[in-house]
Amino acid sequence: MTIKMYTTPFCKYCKVAKEFFKTKNISFTEVDITKDDKAMKEMMSKSQQMSVPVFDIDGEILVGFNRTKLEKAIKVA
Amino acid sequence: MYQLIIIGGGPGGVAAGVYAARKKIKTLLIAEEFGGQSVVSDDIQNWIGTKSISGLELANNLEGHLKAQKDIDLLEGDRVIKIKKLGENHFKVATRDGKEYETERILLVSGSRRRRLDVPGGEEFDGKGVAYCATCDAPLFKNKVVAVVGGGNAGLESVIDLMPYASKIYLLEKNGHLRGDAVTKKKIEESDKVEIRFGVDIQEIVGKQFVSGLKYKDMNSGEDVELKLEGVFVEIGSVPNTDIVKKLVKLNKRDEVVVNHKTMQSSDSGIWSAGDASEVLYKQNNISAGDAIKAVLDIYDQITSQPTE
Repeated sequence: MTIKMYTTPFCKYCKVAKEFFKTKNISFTEVDITKDDKAMKEMMSKSQQMSVPVFDIDGEILVGFNRTKLEKAIKVA
Repeated sequence: MYQLIIIGGGPGGVAAGVYAARKKIKTLLIAEEFGGQSVVSDDIQNWIGTKSISGLELANNLEGHLKAQKDIDLLEGDRVIKIKKLGENHFKVATRDGKEYETERILLVSGSRRRRLDVPGGEEFDGKGVAYCATCDAPLFKNKVVAVVGGGNAGLESVIDLMPYASKIYLLEKNGHLRGDAVTKKKIEESDKVEIRFGVDIQEIVGKQFVSGLKYKDMNSGEDVELKLEGVFVEIGSVPNTDIVKKLVKLNKRDEVVVNHKTMQSSDSGIWSAGDASEVLYKQNNISAGDAIKAVLDIYDQITSQPTE
C-alpha cells in the first residue's frame, strides 16, 4: 500500500491525519504543497478540489480527514 | 426492539453507552465517528483526569472504552437520517445505509456542525473555492482574490490567515459591525489588502469548475453586486444536528433540543438529549459526558419503574 498525503503547514486536519497513520504504524509520504507548485497542481488535478489534506491511497483519492473513511480505504487497499 | 438507541459517538454518546451497558439496558449506539468535534484538537488540557491529550487520542480512548463493554450493540460509520414515532415509547430509526431499528427510547447526542453557506452554489462549490478552514487552505489561494464571510472572531482570524497569500480579501458581514477581538480587528482595518463590507446579504456563488464570483445584495442601498473572486471562506457559526428530531420535540430558537435540566428529557417522554445538540449553555466535552450520563440514569429509572411486558 502506498499513501501519498498532500498537506499545508498549519492545517490541523493534516496534523491529525499524520498522527492517525503513526499510531497505526502506517508509512506515508507527505508533500507540502506550499513548497512545491507542481505538487499543488498535481493534487488539484487528482482531487478536482482546492482543499487539503488530500490522500492518494493506491490511486483512491480522499479529500479531508475522516477517520472512518480513511480506515475503510486502508483496509481495502 | 431496543430499550434505547444512542445517536452520537462524541464524549456524550460514549459516556451514555458505557453507563447504559453497565446498567444492562438493551442499547444500540449509532456513531458516524468517535471523538466528536474535538478530534482535530491538538491538545486538550481540560478533559478531567488527563493533563494533556490530543483529540485523536481522546477519540481512540472513547472508542476503546465503549468497545470494552459487552452489553451494547454498535453501528459504526453510519448516520441516522430519519426517526419515525410509531407510538408512545416506540420509534423507528432509519440510517443512511438503509438499516432500520425499533426502540423504546432515544438519546440524541449528535453534537453540532459548522454552518454551511446556504445559497445557490454554496454546496456545489464546497471544496472548489468555498472553504471552511483558512489555516488549511489559504496557501491554495496565493495571489487570488477571496472573500471571508462572517465578521465574528473566526472570520477575523480567517482574514489574518489569508493575508500572507491572497492578493485581496473582502470581509463580508451581514450586520453593521465586526464582532471579535479588538487587536485582530485593528490589524485587519490597517491592512491595504482587506476591504470590509457591511450589510452584505449573499445571494449566490457562481463559477464553472471552480468559484469565479459571489453575488450579494447590498442591504443598505438595495443594489445587486457581483464580486469577481476565486475563494469564499465561510465562518458563520455552527448549527446543532437536530434535523432528525425537529418534528418530534420542542427546539429553541437556535434549533437546540429543549430539555428538562434535571433529567435531560425532551418534550417527548421517549427522547432525551445532551451535549451540543441540546440547549445546555456550555458546550464542553466534560459537560456533554455528564449530561448524557444524567439522561441514561433517568432512562434507567423510567425502565425500572415500569412493569416489564
